Amino acid sequence: MEKSKDKIIKISAKNSLPQLLLIFVLLGMALFLSLASPFFLTWENLRNILDHSSLYIILALGMTFVIASGGIDLSVGAVAALSGVCMAVAMKGGLGVGASILIGLAVGAATGTLNGAVISFLKINPFIVTLGFMSLWRGLSLIITGGIPIYGFPRGFTWWGSGHIGPLNPPILLAALLGLFAAILLNMSRFGYYTLALGGNEEALRRSGVSIHLYKNLVYMLCGVTAALGGLVVTARLNTAEPLAGWMLELDSIAAVVLGGTSMNGGRGSIAGTLIACLLLGTLRNGLVILSIPSYYQQLLIGLIILLAVIFAEVRSRKKISGSKPNSR
Amino acid sequence: MMKVKMQRTLACILLFILIAVTAGCSSPASSPPEEEINGTGAAGEVDESDKEADTEAEATEATEVSPKAREIEQVLMGQLAPLPEFNNNEKIGVLIITLANPFWVSMKEGYEEAGAELGVDVTVMAAPTEGDTKSQLETLEAMVARDYDAIIASPIEPFNLVPGVVKANKKGIKVINLGPPISTEALEEEGGWLDGRITVNYEDQGAMAAEYIVEKLGPDGGKVAIIQGIPGAGQSEGRTLGAQRVFEEAPNVEIVSIQPGNWDRNTAYNIASNILQAHPDIKGIFCCNDVMALAAADALEAAGKREGVVILGVDFISEAHEAIKEGKLDGSIAYSVKIYTKAALILALKTIQGHDIPEEVFSPLALVSKENVAEFEGWE
Repeated sequence: MEKSKDKIIKISAKNSLPQLLLIFVLLGMALFLSLASPFFLTWENLRNILDHSSLYIILALGMTFVIASGGIDLSVGAVAALSGVCMAVAMKGGLGVGASILIGLAVGAATGTLNGAVISFLKINPFIVTLGFMSLWRGLSLIITGGIPIYGFPRGFTWWGSGHIGPLNPPILLAALLGLFAAILLNMSRFGYYTLALGGNEEALRRSGVSIHLYKNLVYMLCGVTAALGGLVVTARLNTAEPLAGWMLELDSIAAVVLGGTSMNGGRGSIAGTLIACLLLGTLRNGLVILSIPSYYQQLLIGLIILLAVIFAEVRSRKKISGSKPNSR
Repeated sequence: MMKVKMQRTLACILLFILIAVTAGCSSPASSPPEEEINGTGAAGEVDESDKEADTEAEATEATEVSPKAREIEQVLMGQLAPLPEFNNNEKIGVLIITLANPFWVSMKEGYEEAGAELGVDVTVMAAPTEGDTKSQLETLEAMVARDYDAIIASPIEPFNLVPGVVKANKKGIKVINLGPPISTEALEEEGGWLDGRITVNYEDQGAMAAEYIVEKLGPDGGKVAIIQGIPGAGQSEGRTLGAQRVFEEAPNVEIVSIQPGNWDRNTAYNIASNILQAHPDIKGIFCCNDVMALAAADALEAAGKREGVVILGVDFISEAHEAIKEGKLDGSIAYSVKIYTKAALILALKTIQGHDIPEEVFSPLALVSKENVAEFEGWE
């Protein structure tokens, strides 16, 4: 038993090299953009990048846990839209801002738990389950709103998207605080340890007497809550709850998580990597606009970078496994 | 160990080359960033005159401007008099909806040609896809961080660009709204405003198309359907409403289905075949744009039921022009992209130069059908 735990630890052993490389690429890109355009290195623009990246960060943090546990959640974009719509309906129905936000977060938690329950109790592939829920929640948002965005909320609500806290704004600070919280949770808590173990060797974890169901549910619930927080930010920022909000956001956040060095096979996860990857993608998108490069190239470039990073990470981890233990595979 | 290190460095270098090369390759397509650092240097002017030479060459190729187009241009320019000063090299940024739709691609070309003609430095940007409201806002915000004198914006939906417009207002960048409306009510609430608006009347577009369908159906009427764009999008709602009103008022005409096609060819194709399944006696389909109308025509053709069904779209893209000539499509509602974009740039110049402008400028419309398609030869 101890041995299998050791193994889990070894597989999940942190290795910060890919993250260092990401920082290096990020800085290189920032340097290039600063030289190429006088509009890049201004506080206004840097704040834009942080602001734009914050939504990706919030969603990708929850996604990091899910992917590190060996799962995937395709429903986050739709959950963001649904929880935003629920908050809007609650406010329009006369509820206070705080209560409405809580309702939205509860919707996120509930959808996440539902994901987790179907995946763990019925043992169905997470890809299919969350794909189904993605469409279900999107459809529900469209039905609730009748396809028409709900617009106009109290100041106390829009503050969450467009307010000011010193030179920064609530989404940026929310993303930063969540990042800190997630890092502590993943690296220092029992929950984080079990999350990685779920992805590394689920069977071993089960045999050591840990409730797989409980932790799987918690992981997906966390992801649902971060998706709802993303819904809060996007709804508050646009002062509109759109049934189509967060379109394709699930793919952006999965891309950021994988780019950040979290393994798609589970067992390995990095919060710092996710944060840097979100900033990297945010900077890339911003830089391409600042340089007036057409949107066609944006998608091409983002795809190329993700592919290169994933190939690099995979080659490296294979080398490592075969290098350290020639006979272990 | 050495090998691993080598690979790491190699991957780094690769990534950098990739970024540098792609950035380098694509910048000639737009304005190269280096020139902007040096101000409006000689290189920039060469670029401009190149563009002008290009458009002149194109113009001589297609010297015949359609009579309809000339008529419409005069109506619109009348609304814009007196004209501003040209060739001052003002920087105007344009934010359109997406480059993944032929209509917006032709709008981009229209802007660029009109910019060269008027001596204005025009840069056109877009959201990656038609549904990506958040990316479009981010693109606008990044544009505001640059040094444009004015920005012409066409939002995906009424609210998504509001925060970006407010930022532009604060920075003193003039904002012109073209096409789908930006909600002025939402803007006011955030302390923002629009400096001008130019649009086509969407309800009129739907109504004109529907009137043609009703006319073709004759006194017997029949079943009709509407395929919308993305629900909630201004053009889609307006066109649907206009068509719906006309259909409801017409005797013996019954609307059997109104479905969202999301501006998407494939979705519209499926909807059209489903409608045909449910109502084999369908007589008319109005689609909120040409791409979807062409798909509907294809779907009916594939089912062998194209005969006897009147299908109309909106936008009069070049593919629709061909299709109307061939009889594949029954008609479309046209507004000249060339005149529309030129008018938008003139409107932007007027605001930059401090002219008074009308609160809202409407681009005139024309119905194209097989009866009059010959008059639209050379239409842009």
